[in-house]
Amino acid sequence: MEDVKISYTESLISWKRPDLRVGVPVTVKYPLVPTEKPPEYRGKPHIDPNVCIGCGACVRACPADALTAEWDLENGLKSIVSNPARCIRCGRCEEACPTGAMKLTLEFELATPNKEDLVEVVEHHLTKCKKCGDYTEFTERQVEKAFQILPKEIVDANALGEKMQLCRECRMEESVKILAAQGRIIGDPLLLPPQHAKGGEK
Amino acid sequence: MGKAALKSVWVFHVDSGSCNGCDIEVLDMLTPYYDPERFGIKLVGTPRHADALLVTGPMTRQCRRGVQKVYEAMPPKPRIVVAVGSCASSGGIFYDGYPIYRSKDRFGRDRLRSGGVEEVLPVDMYIPGCPPSPEAILFGVAQLLGLKEKKMKGEYYTDKETEFKLPQYPIEERIRLSLRESLKKVIGYFDRDRVLEDFMEIAGEANRAENPKEKLHALVTGYFLQEKDSRLKFSMKFLENEYWRLKDDYENKYVALVETHVQ
Repeated sequence: MEDVKISYTESLISWKRPDLRVGVPVTVKYPLVPTEKPPEYRGKPHIDPNVCIGCGACVRACPADALTAEWDLENGLKSIVSNPARCIRCGRCEEACPTGAMKLTLEFELATPNKEDLVEVVEHHLTKCKKCGDYTEFTERQVEKAFQILPKEIVDANALGEKMQLCRECRMEESVKILAAQGRIIGDPLLLPPQHAKGGEK
Repeated sequence: MGKAALKSVWVFHVDSGSCNGCDIEVLDMLTPYYDPERFGIKLVGTPRHADALLVTGPMTRQCRRGVQKVYEAMPPKPRIVVAVGSCASSGGIFYDGYPIYRSKDRFGRDRLRSGGVEEVLPVDMYIPGCPPSPEAILFGVAQLLGLKEKKMKGEYYTDKETEFKLPQYPIEERIRLSLRESLKKVIGYFDRDRVLEDFMEIAGEANRAENPKEKLHALVTGYFLQEKDSRLKFSMKFLENEYWRLKDDYENKYVALVETHVQ
């Protein structure tokens, strides 16, 4: 990376394209001499594991299903798997990513005899519900990101700090209890909290 | 490579249902600008003279028998098959389509599920890309000839081993995400991140001043006069208005909402 920061318009013209009018060597010496691609080239997608929160926005956006989410609910794992062998370089994952973890690199030398060489896996741990101990459907990093987005006043007013650590069913029970205590629910059996099934029943 | 050492490879090009994007890149690779003939690579008109088969496109049901016949017509040695493009490697965007030939039924979004040439023929080299650039195809062919070594390795990360650090920005995250979304309609998604970076720098400087609204207006006007690109000028003005709209909206609406909620 460069130390000097240049403006956006300057950076677009900074890459030296060969001037075909002046004259270029007739044949490029590519496989013997390395080359590089222009800055707007769309190469192999890469997930930055330090920034990825495992939300799966890229998985939803990918039209070719080159990105998939693999769930392991018994061990509490969710992994984002990228398979560039099926990627069509549309860049919609980059567009959807809320943290900027997904980027199309300039890498183009992908040829390989084995497709497993291309696969990229980022594994995330799911949060455990503090009340019932089951795994929730969101990762630990997703909770941190949610606190970054939400304004503090709203988090404090709704006591989201504790609610965020619960699974969906426990959260529903909690909010029904609060509403009943406030007197907003009066004697409607349909809205009373259901018996929460614990253990392996899913 | 398990196959015999290759010297000059004569190739035959087969289209098994491609959109012609990869075909054009293959033709481009065969021009004197990239000149594969210095490695002995030559396009031939019949599979009976060919050592290698360049297959482009997903394996459609209509083309399956044709591709198999071409493969049988080739001399028994070395019979190399090169899958050019994402479609030939893995089915690409068509992997789930109705005209794609599959050797066996598979269900779900399996990551290695395929609709490519490997359903019919044994593949020696995969060259993914949509389309792969001529250099990328040359790199694959150079690997077959032993001029280059493969670069890719599988990558595996877990969140426990990597260091997690959410990127911090000078403006609030919810406003940044909203601006990013609305900026897509103004300047397109490719350029928006760099433009937003410039704006956030200015906005961070303005927030430190006593009167942020006036300071931001002065800074944006300065940027407006200095910049030559009219797209950037317009999007900067757009961002300024949108930024204050979002901020005032939050203060008017949500703070009042929170107060009633607490009571």
